[in-house]
Amino acid sequence: MPSYNLYMGCSVPANYPNYETTLFRVGEKLGIELNYMEGVSCCGSPNLRAIDYVGWLTVNARTLAIAEQNGHDIVTPCNGCFGSLKDVHHFLTHNADYREKVNAELKKTGVEFKGTIKPRHFVEALYTDIGIDEIKKKITKPLDGVGIAIHYGCHLLRPEDVTEFKPEIYDALVRVAGASVVEYPLWKQCCGATVLPVNEDLAIRLARDKLKSIKEAGAVFITVACPACGNQLDLQQLGLKESYGEEYNLPVLFVTQILGLAMGMGDDEVGLEMNRVPAGPILEHLSG
Amino acid sequence: MTETEEKADPPAVMIEPIDISKLDPNFREEIRSMPNGEELSACFACSTCTAACPTANTWKYKPHQLIRMILLGMREEVLSSEEIWLCLTCFECQERCPQNVRVTDIIFDCKNLAAEEGLIPNSIVGLAKELIDKGQLYVVTADWEREDMDLEPEVPGLSTEEFKTILKGTRTGRIVGGDE
Repeated sequence: MPSYNLYMGCSVPANYPNYETTLFRVGEKLGIELNYMEGVSCCGSPNLRAIDYVGWLTVNARTLAIAEQNGHDIVTPCNGCFGSLKDVHHFLTHNADYREKVNAELKKTGVEFKGTIKPRHFVEALYTDIGIDEIKKKITKPLDGVGIAIHYGCHLLRPEDVTEFKPEIYDALVRVAGASVVEYPLWKQCCGATVLPVNEDLAIRLARDKLKSIKEAGAVFITVACPACGNQLDLQQLGLKESYGEEYNLPVLFVTQILGLAMGMGDDEVGLEMNRVPAGPILEHLSG
Repeated sequence: MTETEEKADPPAVMIEPIDISKLDPNFREEIRSMPNGEELSACFACSTCTAACPTANTWKYKPHQLIRMILLGMREEVLSSEEIWLCLTCFECQERCPQNVRVTDIIFDCKNLAAEEGLIPNSIVGLAKELIDKGQLYVVTADWEREDMDLEPEVPGLSTEEFKTILKGTRTGRIVGGDE
């Protein structure tokens, strides 16, 4: 049974308990053991990286060092946490000077970063360690081929030499659930969440560009693997109704909600009612 | 033609003239010595980064211009620019650079230098304060929602003290402390 250090970050537990619970439920179906990490906190987000590079390195190196103590890889459901942990891991394994500096600080808290475990996104662990064939065996109520657009999220994909993530991984997880992956021109574009604190209008414009591109491509649903992207694309649809008079009606589902439903879970088990844009219509696309 | 008889306006310029005496020749080395800044001088100003940027159309200084400004030594203009804070950190510029200049990483470096000089948008100072005070950006408030989903009301394993202690000792602590 694969066992992982589960790094939740701060946004999923505070804002998306439906995402959090479906990690465990899908994990259980697939025989994955997820253990909450002890003694960890926030990754600091790109905002911390922007103002305090050394502080950002240190808090994330500490999280990695704690995981090293039991030797299991970290999995996280958040692109922001994944981006921070993966970038810090990559940077410190390639920069001895910074590694020494950070470890001198970490020594005070009783840990040391060695780089012996990997931080990974939950979806990549599903794909690589369990595999599509095994996941397929657990799909009892596949979707009927309905079109779903994937918003991968910037920090899952880029910079590629750091993230080592291929978009095909996410595509395969959506397809194994029985859905069709809808390609759309702005698939790589940012949802705008990162710029919310400094320019809300710009953030809304970016979400709108994205939603338009998805809608015009004919998708019926959107899937995300990040609480910040999910929040932005789901919540801004309500705002766009007011500010632009535009209705997109594109429910935004976390990848584990889709997999959970296709594995036979009920709408209450995947927390469908917590979605802002009503996601109930997905139930009509389940077979069996 | 009548137009030629009118007094000509001053010639249109693409950019404001640069005052050479204000340039900081050490700025490029400063950035080059920062995390992932090594490839800076490989930039040949093709502006692919700008074409890739989803928001540069509203920027006064485009990404390729910011890189050029760093190479020229326009330290003050770069560090006080609004643009570095409008960067989405989406890494589309960096992904497409044919010269492997780590453009997004370099903009992060610029923000760190700006932060050291206190040039930070108030909203970001506010986030820094949250990190120091609460040890995280989001705090669980609706614990009943968690219980509805069969989760522990409090996040298992969460401990914010060490996080706060680390950041109080780094630049975040100085930023927040200096603001009080």
